[in-house]
Amino acid sequence: MSITVRKTLPIVIVFVIAVVVMSDYFLVLPPVNDAGTSWTGSAVTSLQNWGIILTAFSLGFGAVNLFFFHSKHISRRTPDQWYYSLWLLIVVVIFTVIGVFLGPNSDQYSWLYNASYFALSATVYSSLGFYMTSGVYRALRVKNTESGIFLVVGLLVLAKNAPALTVYFPVLRDIVSFITGILTTSAQRGIMIGGALGAISLGIRTMTGRETGFLGKLTEEERGGAVG
Amino acid sequence: MLILIWVFILYGMERAKKELPRFRRLTGLDALPEMVGRAAEMNRPLHFTTGLGSLTTTVAPQLVAGLAVLAYVAELCANYGVKMIYSVYQAQVMPIATELMKDAYVKAGKPEEFIPEDQVRYLSGEQFAYASAVQGIAERERPAANIMIGPFYAESMLFAETFNRIGSIQLAGTARGYQIPFFAVICDYLLIAEEIYAAGAYLSKDPITSGTIMGQDYGKIVALLLMLLGVLATTFGSSIITDLLGM
Repeated sequence: MSITVRKTLPIVIVFVIAVVVMSDYFLVLPPVNDAGTSWTGSAVTSLQNWGIILTAFSLGFGAVNLFFFHSKHISRRTPDQWYYSLWLLIVVVIFTVIGVFLGPNSDQYSWLYNASYFALSATVYSSLGFYMTSGVYRALRVKNTESGIFLVVGLLVLAKNAPALTVYFPVLRDIVSFITGILTTSAQRGIMIGGALGAISLGIRTMTGRETGFLGKLTEEERGGAVG
Repeated sequence: MLILIWVFILYGMERAKKELPRFRRLTGLDALPEMVGRAAEMNRPLHFTTGLGSLTTTVAPQLVAGLAVLAYVAELCANYGVKMIYSVYQAQVMPIATELMKDAYVKAGKPEEFIPEDQVRYLSGEQFAYASAVQGIAERERPAANIMIGPFYAESMLFAETFNRIGSIQLAGTARGYQIPFFAVICDYLLIAEEIYAAGAYLSKDPITSGTIMGQDYGKIVALLLMLLGVLATTFGSSIITDLLGM
């Protein structure tokens, strides 16, 4: 594949679209229509619509992948897998048939969704409590100074959330309030600022064609030659 | 402020042409060959996922950062002969990931070893269906290593704990503040926020790309100075900094 198709074209597309979207966010560029929307606003709306269309197409791609992968397991009778694969394909077919013929807003589809996925989803979410408990058990073991501090802070926060203890030791509220409001918040904000600057830097690298990770590993020639 | 950061980054890129910037080592990224090597020794697969990322939302940069690492890990896996499984939440990422992995196997001279329908797996566009499917892969195929880079939500703990239980070595990276502590207490290696964005530059070993990280650090110094000035100004009853930043 030529360098133009492999590198230049994707970068040009990314650059042009990024400039249009950013311009729309910061500026109102003329001409502006009667509704007060600039040409960049209309362009961004069109781009978003294209995004929705492409996402819908890619969903079809995902469904094909799903069928290929699971039918292979069914035909090979893969141990501990094939019956799950079979059940998955049956459920996909049932949802698709009801969704296509009765509509995704129909009572039947809603019932099926709420009675199966919704309940299962809530169950998986609830199981998080057990995972957190086992994670905390592992985390609250003193191995060095840092983990010792972590243990003390963790126990203080746990104690503060136990109503019986805060009745007898009201000072716990002030201590935990200081930990969460001052120490944790300032650390979180540091991470947020660093993350935001990192995202801007990544955006600039992507727009200028220096970030090529999403294009695969390019050769020195494709990257424009190594410097330094 | 954005323009100022642009200037810093462009300056960093220019300066990097003359003088190579020094990097703080990112142990998580340095450990990638070790993780792939472990999978090769144990003859077990490596699992990779980019979380709930979508290319059209505000978390897209995290996803792009995850894909940069995916491309690098795919090449390592191809060279070491390790089966790499990429679990997909957003179907729109599939074509990109498939191309990246195919490219890596072709470059390693083993295009026949890449089986897209087996290695790039679309699981579900629903959060907990996707989470359950990843847990299923962990339990059934018992990957020797698990890499999670991208935007993660409630499923972060489910993944980290499950893979930890089956004995996988784990690298996690996200810029979502609420999930960082979960990964920190369970995973072997962690990339925090800005470190995932730097991953592409770090792994590329390209001096100019590395220069952007230097520019980013100048931005951090400015942010620190502004914070300090803001604290002092507010203490003395002035709102000049908050007015300047439009807060």
